[in-house]
Amino acid sequence: MAQLTNSGTAWALAVSFCVLAGIGLLMVVAVFRRGQQVFYFRYVHSLRRRYRKALTEVLSGKSRDQGMQTLRRLPLSDLEILLDPIFSRRHVVEAHLGILRALCAELGLIELWQRRAAVAHRLEAQPHGSGRRARGVQSPQHLLRRAKGIRNLGILRHEPSGRFLVKALDDPHPDIQVVALRALAALHAPGNFPAVLSRLHAVALGRHTSPSLPAIEAALVNFNLRASAMLEVSLRHPEREIRRIATDTLRVMAGREAGGGQLPADALPAEIAELLLRDLSRDASGEVRGATAEILALLPDSRVEVVLHELLFDREWQVRLRAVRALGKSQHVTDLMVLGIRDCLRDAHSLVRDAAIHALIALGHRGTQHLYEHFLTTEDPVLRAQIVEAIERTGLLTSLVEGYSGGARGIEALMVEELASAAAPVGFSGVLQMVNPPVRERFQERFLPCARFRMRLLEQAAWESNPGPGLQPSLEFPPVVAA
Amino acid sequence: MHSWLDNTIIFFNFVVFTYFLLGNGIYTFLFLLSMRSTWFHMQRRTLQDLDAIRRSPLAPPVTIIIPAWNEEGVIVGAVRSALQADYPHFRVIVVDDGSTDRTLERLVTSFQLVEIDAAYRPTLPTAPVHAFYVNPEIPNLVVATKGRGGKPDAINAGINLCRSPYFCNLDADCLLERDALLRLMEPVLNANVQTVVSSGIVRILNGCTTQDGRVLRVGLPSGRLERFQVVEYLRSFLCGRTGWNLLGGTLVVSGAFAVFHRASVIAAGGFCHDTVTEDMDMVVQLHHWAAKRGRKIRMAFTSDPVCWTECPTSFANLARQRRRWQLGLCQTLWKHSELLFGRKYGVVGYLSYPFHSLVEGAGAAVELVGYLLVPLAFLRGLVPAYVLLAFVLLSFVYGCFLNVGAVLLEELTFRRYPRFRDLLTLLGYAALENVGYRQLVLLYRVEGILKFLAGSRRWEKVAHAGAEV
Repeated sequence: MAQLTNSGTAWALAVSFCVLAGIGLLMVVAVFRRGQQVFYFRYVHSLRRRYRKALTEVLSGKSRDQGMQTLRRLPLSDLEILLDPIFSRRHVVEAHLGILRALCAELGLIELWQRRAAVAHRLEAQPHGSGRRARGVQSPQHLLRRAKGIRNLGILRHEPSGRFLVKALDDPHPDIQVVALRALAALHAPGNFPAVLSRLHAVALGRHTSPSLPAIEAALVNFNLRASAMLEVSLRHPEREIRRIATDTLRVMAGREAGGGQLPADALPAEIAELLLRDLSRDASGEVRGATAEILALLPDSRVEVVLHELLFDREWQVRLRAVRALGKSQHVTDLMVLGIRDCLRDAHSLVRDAAIHALIALGHRGTQHLYEHFLTTEDPVLRAQIVEAIERTGLLTSLVEGYSGGARGIEALMVEELASAAAPVGFSGVLQMVNPPVRERFQERFLPCARFRMRLLEQAAWESNPGPGLQPSLEFPPVVAA
Repeated sequence: MHSWLDNTIIFFNFVVFTYFLLGNGIYTFLFLLSMRSTWFHMQRRTLQDLDAIRRSPLAPPVTIIIPAWNEEGVIVGAVRSALQADYPHFRVIVVDDGSTDRTLERLVTSFQLVEIDAAYRPTLPTAPVHAFYVNPEIPNLVVATKGRGGKPDAINAGINLCRSPYFCNLDADCLLERDALLRLMEPVLNANVQTVVSSGIVRILNGCTTQDGRVLRVGLPSGRLERFQVVEYLRSFLCGRTGWNLLGGTLVVSGAFAVFHRASVIAAGGFCHDTVTEDMDMVVQLHHWAAKRGRKIRMAFTSDPVCWTECPTSFANLARQRRRWQLGLCQTLWKHSELLFGRKYGVVGYLSYPFHSLVEGAGAAVELVGYLLVPLAFLRGLVPAYVLLAFVLLSFVYGCFLNVGAVLLEELTFRRYPRFRDLLTLLGYAALENVGYRQLVLLYRVEGILKFLAGSRRWEKVAHAGAEV
């Protein structure tokens, strides 16, 4: 036991001293690292201060030759440091893009970045003696330099670099793949679309594990709608995930192209439009049907009306929701569609009802007429509360009050009287406090007789339905049993 | 021949020693893992294209839910910081959980809110919601008031009002960094597997200069107690949580600041009232729910989304906070005991749950027993002086090593404290944390265990100084 304790103590002491030495080492590393960083940033700062003038001269086009001469004296690594703030901000002004591209090409930076983008690919092609170099290429510092180079090619929108970026998609490091994907997306060149699409198929089918599907989709949506013809194979693919991503990509592309309005007649290839109308609107996947509804709402095609009407009553609430929302944003809503949206006010899912309310409000007078009519006739308290909330939150209540004060008649007047009587007491008092005093006075002048009349009606109804004192005990629960 | 008392002391000394080896061994392992993971994450951070997420039409909307109960001093700053979040589509819902102070009044006057009639559809049961306030000028802010039901109840009310697929739970005493939400959503957006929780790091606000809900200058607090907490937070987040995340055994996320997948939370039954750490309980519930349904889920932790929070400045408040944390930990572990060595729970069942039970849960009691019994063994002549000395030295030195390691990790990666003096101060406090502060916290933790054994469920509120947040 004593021996055990002795050796244990010796161990404990030895470990303690080792740990103490470790603590000392960690502290030294922390302090050294801070010093190193300070030194590095000072160097970067001084470099930028010294050459900022030359860089500005080149970028502004004034005394370009002199500036270029100064910059050419710098090694490439320093040039990268100098230009890094411009690329890190990512928003290079369109006017500067050409100048910056020419500058990078002239200084040899584009060539350097292209080489870096394809380095892993090249090393993989060399079967012998490339192991150590390949490992070097994967080191964090080198990885960062390569990734920055690839990113810069994308920011510069240097189209001839597209093939290097496509090669970088096969880089063994997943981070490089993601950066290459983003750079390809930034180029917008339709020629690169198939490479990204084939990567989608490979990942969705399990042939590759990276980049992630959301990252690929984020890259795909950046391409122009003109590339959509190439999506046909993916839209017809038996794999549900591929169809989903392809439809969603098309949805984003189409939405961007439409810019809040409708798509031009020839924006989508005829085969794709047919595919959407015939197959994808009846797809087994709800997500595909939902995205299809959103695209169809942008299409100037007479057949869309019937298909969208069907989707408004889809078996899945998410599809119905997306269809209603899409119609709420659409600028060409036919009467059939308006009736469809109105019917969605009776939907079993509250989110669909909410979306239908907002869609009707977004449609303007045509939609609100249906909404008010439904509000005045429905007895569903939940739906009434939803409509009241939407009316208050969208500011419609204020315009209703103003219209009523101005003498508006018809369904709007009935709506105001109903809301003021019982349905929206809180919101009403808030609105009345905020409107101009003359509007408030006119409102009171008109509404008070109506309120008195309503009160009389209520009193009369109460008196008529009064069961009398003899019947009262039998209505109590539990019933009072006579002794 | 030893008496039964001596035998018991020797036995407990072995227990303490085993606990010491096990606990510190796992902590060291986690530290090494975190070192590697955080280093690589920092390298990758420069490759992240947050701008792409910002502009992405695929970024899902997020609702920031701020539950508040008697938070008049800090609520306005928290809401301001949330409204400044840099994210494409987000909404802020403040749930006033029946405050008795001027929390609601402050919100109404600061944001010029008006009451509206709103439809409330409770998917999760909560105490009744009384009123809703909005300002048409700030369309993404809603304030709801409800009867007192506790923090989990307030979050559930927020979930009922939330319409987005993800929600971010934010404490009322926290300030969100502008890009924090964007960074939190990055792992959600770039994963093939459904991410149900994404959490970030909570840092200490005391000592920082703030304005309009934003941190202008990062600095160390002046108080010793707060400085020790800075070191403690660094160790906990940079070493512990990063390590567990890498192993896939996340069991604790900070309820002060985390993004949850709404549908999964509702499917798992929402936030429960039966523990005082609803955040941990939710995470365990999600593990449970996913395992039961054979769903593959992911819980992400990244150390660069930052949320700043006030830490306790007095011993009384620190005691309340730590007692509650320990009580909640014990309650949650007890409630979900079926996770222990459950095959379907994987790393969580085999590694994370046992570690949290033995080292984080019961560990405090074992450690306290150790502080009492090792000297007792020496006094009774069972252990020679040099053994006692070696053991004490090792235990203090090892704790110090982990603290200094956490500070180094911070220095190698985030370097949030810009002044050189701050680094030296942090290193000093890291070295000293194990002498006095740790033992003090240990006492509070043991109190928490005793409260658990006594069946307490009381939520102890930590008062905030309200450093113009």
